[in-house]
Amino acid sequence: MEGNMEKKSRGRQRIKMAKMENKSNLQVTFSKRRSGLFKKASELNTLCGADIAVIVFSPGGKVYSFGHPNVEIMVNRFKHINQPFPNPTNNMPLSEVQPHTPIQQMNDFLTQVMDDLETSKKKNEESKKKRKNSKGPENWWENPVEEIDLAHAQELLVGVENAKKVVADETSNFFQVFPHPNFCVGSSSGAFFRECGYINPNLDQSEQRRMFNVNTCYNQNMYPPIYQLPYGNNSYAGGYVPDQYNLNCMRAINQYQNQNQNQNQNQNQNLGFRDEGISENERHQDGHPPYF
Amino acid sequence: MARNRAKMTFLENNTSRKATFRKRKEGLMKKASELSILCGVAVAVIIEGEYSSVPEVFPREDVGSVIDKWDKLSQADKDKKMVNHEKYLKQRIEKAKEKLNKVNKENREMEMKELMFDCLRNKTAPCFLGPNELRDLGVFIDQYIKILSRRIETLTNNQGSSSTSVVPAAAGTTSVAMPTAAMGSSSTGFNNMIEENMNEIPNVKDFDLNRCSEE
Repeated sequence: MEGNMEKKSRGRQRIKMAKMENKSNLQVTFSKRRSGLFKKASELNTLCGADIAVIVFSPGGKVYSFGHPNVEIMVNRFKHINQPFPNPTNNMPLSEVQPHTPIQQMNDFLTQVMDDLETSKKKNEESKKKRKNSKGPENWWENPVEEIDLAHAQELLVGVENAKKVVADETSNFFQVFPHPNFCVGSSSGAFFRECGYINPNLDQSEQRRMFNVNTCYNQNMYPPIYQLPYGNNSYAGGYVPDQYNLNCMRAINQYQNQNQNQNQNQNQNLGFRDEGISENERHQDGHPPYF
Repeated sequence: MARNRAKMTFLENNTSRKATFRKRKEGLMKKASELSILCGVAVAVIIEGEYSSVPEVFPREDVGSVIDKWDKLSQADKDKKMVNHEKYLKQRIEKAKEKLNKVNKENREMEMKELMFDCLRNKTAPCFLGPNELRDLGVFIDQYIKILSRRIETLTNNQGSSSTSVVPAAAGTTSVAMPTAAMGSSSTGFNNMIEENMNEIPNVKDFDLNRCSEE
């Protein structure tokens, strides 16, 4: 590594066990550690069924508290500990920790979300790495818009606007009725998940196709499944697009491409395009299949 | 850290549960102590486990003073940042979902950018795409048109003063990256398309930036 990444934090350091001197560091530390403490309390209850309360006063005087079953009950229990009417049983009864309680469900759900988050993050990093490697003067279109010169930008704009028309046209084949305001979740994971607007990434693809909402792409409550193919679940004829279907608009790009084609047998510079031919998901309503 | 994220479910095995309880309780108390010292704040912990009829507390001797401090608060102050387990988990779930949506959105945008350029370079075409891709691609293209137009506008505004003006595309002499030799090449069969396109690409003067402001 050439040191192109700046360190975001100082990393793990041995800390002196005394009140911190730097006020803003103290505030950050308080925030993080309080959060961590609550997390530990939550986990102690989930794993072992113990009742617990944590009360924390902030440097600014505010109070944070976490409790299972809740803080008030725990404080009262504690205060009345030496009162008459002691608990008849020797061992304290465990609080509700059966597998199907709401707490357990939420924990499971949280775990699922965290796992998905990890997967998505990895995917994100990989994509960014790939992008970085493929940047260069010959791939000028990959560059951020700010770096594209005027001639390229103008040509690109033509192509892109043309693309927009084609896409709109294709889209009209699918969306005949105006979109639903709410995105339907046909998940099998139960009512709780549905309520939270969470989509199971393993949702059946054909079911997904029935549900759409053109206006809420990147809707807060939905996200697309994580595919293995570069995009979507449709494969396409490996690399060759017949004349009547291609956009014919990136002359400059295509010229360069053709020049390269003689040099590279494998044009799979970006993605693992598969020469699978047309999958059954491919749509040609008008009865003109592409020829090969 | 080595053994990451234990499965967050109740431990049925009595032995494991007992051992886990002991270790985690100790760890929790330690963390409470550290928080208290490092930040100079009052902290109280009350734990009622199944193995003892007496609750275990932090601070071991003086938890009472923190409880007193707590009692003196108004109900409003107590309630403001009080959470029970369900509320707590809900908050964590919301935060995690936000992050997840953010990352997925970014991923999707990168995908769509790639898809758009693949279409432009004839590696694929919109007719092969499913509804999800078409929809998201459409959204991306619209966004892209906006920023691209803005870029062109900035550049053409600056062009008036600068001497290193870039030659308009329609003149047929594009920038350095494009080898002119390939223009006449017939080996790939793109020749016809090239000629067609040469007529289609509008002159720079005709370029109507206002078109791009459509929503």
